[in-house]
Amino acid sequence: MFLEIKDLSVKIENKNILKSLNLNVNKGEVHAIMGPNGSGKSTLANVLAGKEDYEILDGKINFKDNDLFDLNIEERAQEGMFLAFQYPVEIPGVNITPFLHSAINSKRKRMNEEEIDNLSFAKLLKSKASDLGINIDMLKRSVNTGFSGGEKKRYEILQMSILNPDLAILDETDSGLDIDALKIVTDGVNKLKTKDNSFLIITHYQKLLDYIKPDYVHVMVNGSIVKSGGSEIAAEIEKDGFQKFQ
Amino acid sequence: MNIQDNYLKNKKNIFFSENKDIQTHREKLIKIFENDGFDKKNNESLKNINLKNFIDFKYRYLISEETSVINNNQENNYSIVSVNGQCSSFKDDKIEITKIIDEDYNDFSKNETIENNDHFVNLNSLFLNSGFKIVIKKNNNISIKISNIITDDDLTIFQKNNYICEEGSSLNLIEEYENKNNSTSNILNVIKLEKNSQLNHFLIQDNSPYHNLIITSHSSCKKDSTYTQKVYNFSEGYVRNFHYSELIEANSEADLQGIFFLKDNNLSNNKTFVKHLAEDCKSNQVYKGILNDSSKATYFSNTHVDQVAQKTEGYQLSKGILLSDNASYFSKPELKIYADDVKCSHGSTIGPIDENAIFYLRSRGMSKIAATKILISSFINEELSSIDNEQMSEIIQKKLVRYLSKVK
Repeated sequence: MFLEIKDLSVKIENKNILKSLNLNVNKGEVHAIMGPNGSGKSTLANVLAGKEDYEILDGKINFKDNDLFDLNIEERAQEGMFLAFQYPVEIPGVNITPFLHSAINSKRKRMNEEEIDNLSFAKLLKSKASDLGINIDMLKRSVNTGFSGGEKKRYEILQMSILNPDLAILDETDSGLDIDALKIVTDGVNKLKTKDNSFLIITHYQKLLDYIKPDYVHVMVNGSIVKSGGSEIAAEIEKDGFQKFQ
Repeated sequence: MNIQDNYLKNKKNIFFSENKDIQTHREKLIKIFENDGFDKKNNESLKNINLKNFIDFKYRYLISEETSVINNNQENNYSIVSVNGQCSSFKDDKIEITKIIDEDYNDFSKNETIENNDHFVNLNSLFLNSGFKIVIKKNNNISIKISNIITDDDLTIFQKNNYICEEGSSLNLIEEYENKNNSTSNILNVIKLEKNSQLNHFLIQDNSPYHNLIITSHSSCKKDSTYTQKVYNFSEGYVRNFHYSELIEANSEADLQGIFFLKDNNLSNNKTFVKHLAEDCKSNQVYKGILNDSSKATYFSNTHVDQVAQKTEGYQLSKGILLSDNASYFSKPELKIYADDVKCSHGSTIGPIDENAIFYLRSRGMSKIAATKILISSFINEELSSIDNEQMSEIIQKKLVRYLSKVK
C-alpha cells in the first residue's frame, strides 16, 4: 500500500479531532475528501505533513513502506510528500528562487540523486512558471509576500510541479480562487498526474472535482470517514449538502 | 575605590587636569555621582548592567606610538589605525586630524544635552585619556576606515572624538571594533554636520567576551544635512550603544539603525534619541535584535519634537527574535510631541521565530536548522541588502554566517 492510515486518532489542546480514521491510497489514485467545516480535514493534511502541534493518540500511518511517525517534517517532504497549504505562509525576505532550489536539492540529496545546478534549475523554474501562467517577475519576490489569494495558490502548485511529489495533499486549494485561476491551478495538477503519483484533495465543493476527476470520494464528518465511493458522492453532496451524513 | 579617589589618584594621567575650568567641571560631575547614588530605577544609562565593573575599576592607560593614518590615494580613501584611542595628526587639503589633547577644551567637551543624565558619558569626561578630532573640509567627498585597536589587558580607555563635516562635504565612515583584550573602552563621538553635508557612519562591533565597549554618540545636523548611522553588533562582550541626534536646522535628517546578534549570557544596552528642533526634518530609528541562549538586550528609542518643529517625520521601530526561552529583549519606545503638524510612529515586535514559517519551509524539505537560519537572515534582509558598500556587505555577511553557525 502506498499510503495506509489505520485507526488514526488525534487531538489538539484537549480536543479530539480525528477519531479512528482509516484511509488507503494506492499509487496513481486520486482521492477526494469532502466534509463540512470543522470535520478535521485540514488536521488530517497537517498530521500527514508532520505538523508538531497535534498529539497522536492512536493509530498508524504507513507511507511508501515507512512508518510515517518515524519521519520528521522535512524527511516526509524528501520522501515525496507535498502539502499545498490552505493558507500559504508569507515569508518576507526569503526569495522564492533560491528557496525552491534548496528545496529540490534537499530531496535529490536524500534520493542519492545529483543536485541540480543553478542554470538548469532556472530553466526548469521558468518553464514550469510559464505553464502555470506565473509572471517571471513574481519569481524575484519573497515567498508568498504581497501575493493575492489566487497567486499564493498558483505558487503552491508551482512548487508542487517543481518538487514532483509522490503524494500531493491539496488542502482546499480551490478556496479563494476565481474560475479562471481554478482552471489554471487544476490544469497544473492534471499535468502532473501519472500512474506513479497519488493525490489527496481536500475540498468543500464539487466544483474542483469537475476539473480534477477523483477515483474515490470520501465524506469526513466529526473526525471520521463516514462514507466512501466514487464521483457520485460529490454530486450527492452538491445537491443535498453534508446534513444527511452527520 | 570610589570614583573621587580613583580620579584624584590618577589625575596626572588624565587629559586637561591642569585646566582650572575643567577641574571645576569635573568636581561638579563627581558631585552628581555622589548625589545620584546610582539610582538604577530612574536612570536609563544604568539599567540592567552590572555597575560594579564600571564604577569600581582600576584605572590603567598606555600611550602607544603605533598609530597611523594612510591616504590610499585612490578615490579619496583613508585608513586610520587608532591605538588605545589615540590617532596620529594628519593634514592634507581634504581632511585634518588632530589629537584631542591639542584641542581647546571648551570647544571640545561641552555636551550639556547628554551629560548629567548619562553616567557613562560623565565617566568619560572625568577620566578622559584619549581621542582625536577629524575635520572633513568643505565640499570634499571622502571615505575613512578606522580600526580601533586596544593593545593590552586591563586598560581603561576613555576616548572622546570629534567629527566635523564642513559645508557641502560627504563622509563615508567605517569604524571597526574587534578587540580580544580584557579591557574597557568608553568612547564618546561628538559629530557636527554643517550645512548640506552628509555622513554615512558604519560601526562594526565584534569584540571578545572579555572586552566591554561603551559607545555613545552625539550628532547635530544643520540645514540640509543627513546623518546615517548603522551599527552591527556581533560582540561576545558587553556593548552599550547610546546614540543621540539633534536636528537643529531645517530639512536635516537623522537615521539611526542597529542590529545586534547576541548569544550565551551576553548583554547589550541600546538607546537612540532624536530631538527635532527645526521644521521639515526627518528621523528614523530602527533596531533589530537576534537573541540566543540566555542573552539579554534593552532598547530605548525616543523622539522629541519641539513646538517649532512643524512638518516633522519621525519613525521608530524595534524588532526582536528570541531563539531561546531564556533570552529576553526589553524595548521601550517613547514619543514626545509638542508640534501639531507632524507624522510620527513607533512600533515594537518581539517574539520567538514564527513556527508556521518553520513548518512551511520544512514541509518543502528544508531541515529545521536550515529553516531557522533562513528565517533569521530574512529578518534582517532589508537592512543587509541596503548596504551599498560591497566591502562592508562582505564583512557583515561573514560575521552573520559565523553567528548562524552557532545557532542550533
